[in-house]
Amino acid sequence: MVVDRRADFEASLTRTAELRGDQAGGALQRASLLRDAVHRFLKNRAAVAGAIAFLIMVVFVTITPWLSPHDPYAIDFGKAYLRPSWDHPFGTDDFGRDLFIRTALGGRVSILIGFAATVAIMLVGILYGSLSGFAGGALDNGMMRFLDALYGLPYLPFAILTLAIFGTVNFWTMVVALTVASWFTTARVMRGQIITLKENDYVRAANALGARWYRILFRHLLPNTLGVILIFVFLELPGVILGEAFLSFIGLGISAPKASWGTLAQEGYSSYLAYPYIIIIPSLCIGWLILSAFFVADGLRDALDPRSQEA
Amino acid sequence: MALLEVEDLRTYFKTREGEVRAVDGVSFSLEHSKMLGIVGESGCGKSVTVLSIMGLVQTPGRVVGGSAVFQGRDLVQLKGRELEDVRGHEIGMIFQDPMTSLNPTLTIGTQLTETLRRHLGMNKDQARKRAVELLEEVHIPNAARRLDDYPHRYSGGMRQRVMIAIAISCNPKLLIADEPTTALDVTVQAGVLDLLHELRSIHEMGVIIITHDMGVVAETADDIIVMYAGQIVEQATALDLFDRPEHPYTEALLEALPQVEGEGIREGRLRSISGRPPDLLDPPPACRFAPRCAYAGQDDCATVPPDLREIRPGHWVRSSHPTSERAAAPVGAR
Repeated sequence: MVVDRRADFEASLTRTAELRGDQAGGALQRASLLRDAVHRFLKNRAAVAGAIAFLIMVVFVTITPWLSPHDPYAIDFGKAYLRPSWDHPFGTDDFGRDLFIRTALGGRVSILIGFAATVAIMLVGILYGSLSGFAGGALDNGMMRFLDALYGLPYLPFAILTLAIFGTVNFWTMVVALTVASWFTTARVMRGQIITLKENDYVRAANALGARWYRILFRHLLPNTLGVILIFVFLELPGVILGEAFLSFIGLGISAPKASWGTLAQEGYSSYLAYPYIIIIPSLCIGWLILSAFFVADGLRDALDPRSQEA
Repeated sequence: MALLEVEDLRTYFKTREGEVRAVDGVSFSLEHSKMLGIVGESGCGKSVTVLSIMGLVQTPGRVVGGSAVFQGRDLVQLKGRELEDVRGHEIGMIFQDPMTSLNPTLTIGTQLTETLRRHLGMNKDQARKRAVELLEEVHIPNAARRLDDYPHRYSGGMRQRVMIAIAISCNPKLLIADEPTTALDVTVQAGVLDLLHELRSIHEMGVIIITHDMGVVAETADDIIVMYAGQIVEQATALDLFDRPEHPYTEALLEALPQVEGEGIREGRLRSISGRPPDLLDPPPACRFAPRCAYAGQDDCATVPPDLREIRPGHWVRSSHPTSERAAAPVGAR
């Protein structure tokens, strides 16, 4: 599903770029685009619902640990495997720890890793892609063939291998592993964007005024890709969170007693027949976040796409 | 010494089909504070000529020969870095479409000051102050307030004024305007041309103005070059060129212009030039205008290339049949 959406998105970007090129008053068009975009986003009910759901989840994981009276790490076998109740809304696990607060804490880890890795992916992808597209010629060709080779390698073994090379699993190695495995698409899309933008008159003008290449790239080209970057943040985020959850689930995640949603689900796996809520709750959280992020990305794409200017 | 001395400039584009000689041996010189018009139809090499001078020709194009000596330095020989210091500093340039020549994501002020800071090493405050002066100089009302606006708040004419302000910001000795009025409507055109004229005398800049519109250069330029198929076909002072055009191509161009006032208004339909501009991959072997020329007869027009010769002081023409050497109207024409 992740892959399909990206291909779809890439195709729509190409169309958008072509469309922009056709418009003589492109600058004017784009200037009012931002206001139009906000307007269109707010009119898209699925996108607004997605954004609200996303915010609810962020708020939940942020404030719950401050409000909850329970200690997320206190072991009390007398309270093991309690069913959800008013005192323990999500029940307790095999050590008697409150799952409500542990889910929130796990969510913090998951979302933070997700965001950190997304930011890292953006940085690497934008830098690589824009340099490649900007340089053009043989360098561009070489960089893209290298990327093609990396594309051929499957995602998860790549991440697992990176973790194995580090030897330890903590927040930062997790971020690096996820980044290494998934920055390719961003780089490709950025390259395409830069190549289309490079042909703009204001780039020629900047050249004629003696601007150096890095100034043209960072000052004139990159700010114009902001819309695309914004969409891509929300497209990458779910994939990264899912990747983290998967790695945690197969035992390569954040180590106990800390937890992410992936490790929580993994803990619930051993007793899922008797106590299904332990695995279901973190899984639902993951699904909730991913779905809402996709809706936001979809809404952003429609909002920032000048073709969809229907009333 | 002349401000700019272009000598036998050649720029070729290597394509799959062969070599396109977009600029094929162009020579001219421009004095301080003079305005030179380069006229010609699309694809005749007028833009490529100035881009070659600026070192902005993109691959697969390449300047293969000739020189462009600007204030004692040959621009063709300069390295990329040195050329960057010349561009925007000693030579300013204005482009055709003001709607797309400004970056929509940066304020007018940022785009104005970046050149000042880049070339003159001004700090933020100095550059800002100068930017306001520049906007006032190009007659933008409320300059200080409008500095922080984004380009979409400016009309086309105002944007072209901003482009001009950017181009002259470092007091260049030479200003190149590549079709500065083509994208503007007629009333705005006149304003922009007046502005160019005014700034030229204030800053004592040499100006090269490229256009396909004879009307644009008629009143503003001192000298005019007419280009055809990568070559200069006629070069003269503006007055002489319009009064006594020598090359059959120039003649035909002028006859294709609508005329509303003046002595001896032509009656009847406007004439067009038959045929198409030649394919530069395979140009006519001798005189490049011969296939479309009303005077190219049985003689050697198709075998011996005509030289650019001075038919009278200051008036150069590349044709075997200039107007003043023609005895009578050719058979079957006009």
